Amino acid sequence: MATIELAHPASHIHPAPEGFVRKYIFSLDHKVIAVQYFITSGLFFVLAGLLAELIRVQLMQPNNTVLDPATFNEAFSVHGSAMVWLVVIPILTGGFGNLIMPLQIGARDVAFPWLNMLSFWLFPPAGILLFGSFLLGAPQAGWTEYPPISVLASPGTSMWCAAIFLIGVSSTITGLNFLVTIIKMRAPGMTWTRMPLFVWASAVTAFLNFIATANLSISLAVLFIQRTFHVPFYDETRGGSPVLWQHMFWFYSHPAVYIMILPAFGIVSEIIPTMVRRPIFGYKAIAYSSVAIALVSFMVWAHHMFTSGLAQWIQLPFMIMTMIVAIPTGVKVFSWVASLWGGRIRFTSPLLFVLGFLSTFTFGGITGVMLASVPADVHEHGTYFIVAHLHYVLFGGSMFGVFAGLYYWWPKMTGRMLDERLGKIHFWLMFVAFNCTFLPMHWLGLLGMPRRVATYDPIYWHTNLFVSISAFVLGASMLLFAYNAIHSARYGKRAGPNPWGARTLEWMIPSPPPYYNFKELPVVLSGPYDYGKPLPYRDVDPDMIEAAAMPAY
Amino acid sequence: MASHALTLDDRAYAEQRDIRLLGFLFFLISDSIFFGSLIFAYLYLRNAAPVWPPPGIERPDVYLAAVNSIVLFGSGVTMHVAMEGMRRDRRGQFVGFIVATIVLGTLFVSGQIYEYWHILPVTKWAATTFGASFYTLTGMHGFHVSVGVIFLITVLIQTLRGTYTKDRHFGLTAATLYWHFVDIIWVALFFLFYVY
Amino acid sequence: MSQQPEAFRLDAGFWRATALLAIISIALMILVVVYPIGKLLPEASSASLSIDFLFRFMAFFSVPILVFVNGYIIYFCIRYRRRKDEPLDSIGSPIHDHRALEDTWTIVPTILMVALGILSYLAMPQYYLKGKDSAATIEAIGHQFYYEFRYPGLPHAVDNDMYLPLGVPVTIDLTSAESDETRAVIHSFWVPEFRVKQDMIPGMVVPIHFTPIELGTYKLICTEFCGLGHAHMWGYVHVVSRADFDAWWNSQQKNAQTQAHQAINFASGNASSGQALFAQKCTACHNAAPFDQRKVGPGLANLFHDPQHPDLVDGKPANARDVGDILEHGYQGSMGVMPNAQANGLNAKDIADLIAYLQTLK
Repeated sequence: MATIELAHPASHIHPAPEGFVRKYIFSLDHKVIAVQYFITSGLFFVLAGLLAELIRVQLMQPNNTVLDPATFNEAFSVHGSAMVWLVVIPILTGGFGNLIMPLQIGARDVAFPWLNMLSFWLFPPAGILLFGSFLLGAPQAGWTEYPPISVLASPGTSMWCAAIFLIGVSSTITGLNFLVTIIKMRAPGMTWTRMPLFVWASAVTAFLNFIATANLSISLAVLFIQRTFHVPFYDETRGGSPVLWQHMFWFYSHPAVYIMILPAFGIVSEIIPTMVRRPIFGYKAIAYSSVAIALVSFMVWAHHMFTSGLAQWIQLPFMIMTMIVAIPTGVKVFSWVASLWGGRIRFTSPLLFVLGFLSTFTFGGITGVMLASVPADVHEHGTYFIVAHLHYVLFGGSMFGVFAGLYYWWPKMTGRMLDERLGKIHFWLMFVAFNCTFLPMHWLGLLGMPRRVATYDPIYWHTNLFVSISAFVLGASMLLFAYNAIHSARYGKRAGPNPWGARTLEWMIPSPPPYYNFKELPVVLSGPYDYGKPLPYRDVDPDMIEAAAMPAY
Repeated sequence: MASHALTLDDRAYAEQRDIRLLGFLFFLISDSIFFGSLIFAYLYLRNAAPVWPPPGIERPDVYLAAVNSIVLFGSGVTMHVAMEGMRRDRRGQFVGFIVATIVLGTLFVSGQIYEYWHILPVTKWAATTFGASFYTLTGMHGFHVSVGVIFLITVLIQTLRGTYTKDRHFGLTAATLYWHFVDIIWVALFFLFYVY
Repeated sequence: MSQQPEAFRLDAGFWRATALLAIISIALMILVVVYPIGKLLPEASSASLSIDFLFRFMAFFSVPILVFVNGYIIYFCIRYRRRKDEPLDSIGSPIHDHRALEDTWTIVPTILMVALGILSYLAMPQYYLKGKDSAATIEAIGHQFYYEFRYPGLPHAVDNDMYLPLGVPVTIDLTSAESDETRAVIHSFWVPEFRVKQDMIPGMVVPIHFTPIELGTYKLICTEFCGLGHAHMWGYVHVVSRADFDAWWNSQQKNAQTQAHQAINFASGNASSGQALFAQKCTACHNAAPFDQRKVGPGLANLFHDPQHPDLVDGKPANARDVGDILEHGYQGSMGVMPNAQANGLNAKDIADLIAYLQTLK
């Protein structure tokens, strides 16, 4: 039940920033910061992707000599670390969270704009440190850097610790910032159950960000002091334990995977109602299941450690909680599919990526359940089955979600449409190549191919060759997006405020939005997905209301 | 008195203050996770050890730590009285008890340093898991107390410049919360290292 | 608003699609039930059967989920697509939720998870920790980059080739150990045909148990990253008849050296064979160049004749026998790690040839 407040105190518009540096470099504007995140993550996506392609070149045939063993190990370790911490988390939280969340709640900016700027500027140094570790000898033990190896080897591991620590501080501050923003700065009348689902996702992700990341920071700091000062936390010869690192690391890193998927869930929940022009099915289920997933995500970490010698009475609750966390996830998938029923579906590029997401993420979720069962996991752990699973959920899930969001919100961010035809080709190429790359890996893993290996038993040769070629096609498909993005800057059709005919608040302002977002803060009268009913906002520009009525695509 | 106060109207200030308060609370929760992680590591290592403390290590003196704890808790009391002084617009009370808190906080840190100096010859940071967990945790805490002292000195300076008023003193509220937080963490650490 | 939204009614088209998807599901589910997993990957241990049953159970219920999710996506996309003649602002169904449906798709998966949990719990004691009826406990110790097995009653350790008698339950104690110059790291012990895996963690001894039930030679694979030689760390588990096992046991009692050791005949080394071998096997990490031209390992051109480096990296003098030692056993130390002969696929003759070649380099 909302009490509608008059003359919202935050309706004051501050003067426009002046000068190139204030406007584009050290900007306090959440939209500019979002673009900064997109550009920086995009760069690291290319670098980490190139590392992946190098890995696949090496694995085209057994006993290949393209990469020597040390460089190969560095390649997969930096690939994983960069993709998790320099690409997926920053793009979803720093990029989409910054760009869209404040607009969707009808705010002028986030709660702490200066901290927002600080969060961004910790990001490039972190990336430089991580890739700079190649100079000293990059870490080689995977993105998980288990001791004893991470204590003993690779001088660059200390740089890795520092890099991830920095990005961790950035995430923590952003999480805190976003959750306060969502709790305190929603437009009058926007109760929790009238919030767009992307905002729900952002809120829950923000919570995970500032709770879980603190633990990561400590784990890294401890690894660093062990490497530098020989303090024996993880040293089994002096009373420590390598398994302690695993506990500490995974306590963060499991919630981290939800940090990497929940915003993508939010993006999917936004695009479906718009492209299908009907309410999302099961709004409350989708919203509350996100909360359930976040809470349970803190109770499953040891499912990454089922072969680490844990006592049986410990393995059991972790197995149970992991199976439980699949339930709310399944509820979401079923709700999204039901949201297609009875719609008037327009097959735009954003929707295609959403459909691709639904297919691949569901598959990844199924293999996740196969990993929840301890005895099954025992067979699958440390093999290509895990590599397959993680890419299905993080690439098939998060990255397909990212591309869906990019195609969807590109006109809002830039004022230009991306070319639809190119977008469709990009989607099909990426979807087919993705499945060809990662589906066979399940098989490889179950039959006996371990992960993190620079060579393999020749019986796996042809499958690996097929995977590598598919991976090259997958990498090439990204060029289509890059070309589309650059081309649209000059030749893209100009977009009005609401090319898709959506109903959430970000579409009620011009594209791109002015720095102050809303001339007058809107008042919200009901939820945003009731296609067929009048727009539930007061004090919204009537031109915008007209634009919302008829999509252009 | 209110010469440096911002010119927002009262409701706008209240809103700003609520936002900052929530943000600061979240920061403290995040900081608790920091300590929670290290405490988990300590308990894990302690549980895994066949004998505790490890051979050759003596538990640090509980009486010294108890005295130091009283100093710290005392500073919590003085902080509270200082806050009351601000709320009742009694500047003298406020300034006096803030200074007392700063002194007691500094005394606590000195007590820690003294204790370290005393036990370091035998209990090294890098030799055993006892040293590892003890110095890392209490060191982290001592670092937080030191930052708190600097925070309080800043608050004191701001007060003397007249920034805060009876109704508008968010910096002080934050410092108080932080100080109490540091106290609560110490309760846990004292129990974990000196009693348990 | 230019079109009437659909009322909530599951029409004949929906049920036709559902029937089709059901048929596809059932066909695939039958396939899952009858599929001979053992033909693809032998079920060679007592644990394999119950773990394969778990896989079948999970696949059995995954099939309908995948078929229906993907199937309904395709069906709804076809059925509810905006037709060309419909205006762009056509509205879809206003249905927000459906209590019974949502309850069903929450409760049914929960029940399935409970079942999976119980079945998994029942399977865990099939392999984890000490076996109650194990005939013996074999120690398996992970090294960089080979497995060491210590049998109770054998005077010396066996490297990389574990022999087990058919049908006899065993417990394997797993750990990881240091060697001369490096600390121990985590390894793993996995035989895919046994479906059993356990990490070998320094400072811990973790037992697993199983009974081998099928004769054969199975690859033993390390699945926990352990360093530069991780991809080359593998061994074999030979499940043999009782008689063959006894024969092996007796031969082990007699031999002073382990299976892997054979005498190297340095005199018969062929330098040109050695050159070909060097190009094939060594150039990933070594150059035939002066010592300081490191790739992963040092340059080997003046290995036997370098006044600046008269000793080998392990401190021993640079003669044929000690070089042969490094080639045979590998090296791990401050200069890095080199896999052993078994990992590199070198036999005694190969080693002699390589040494002959290296001796020609000046």
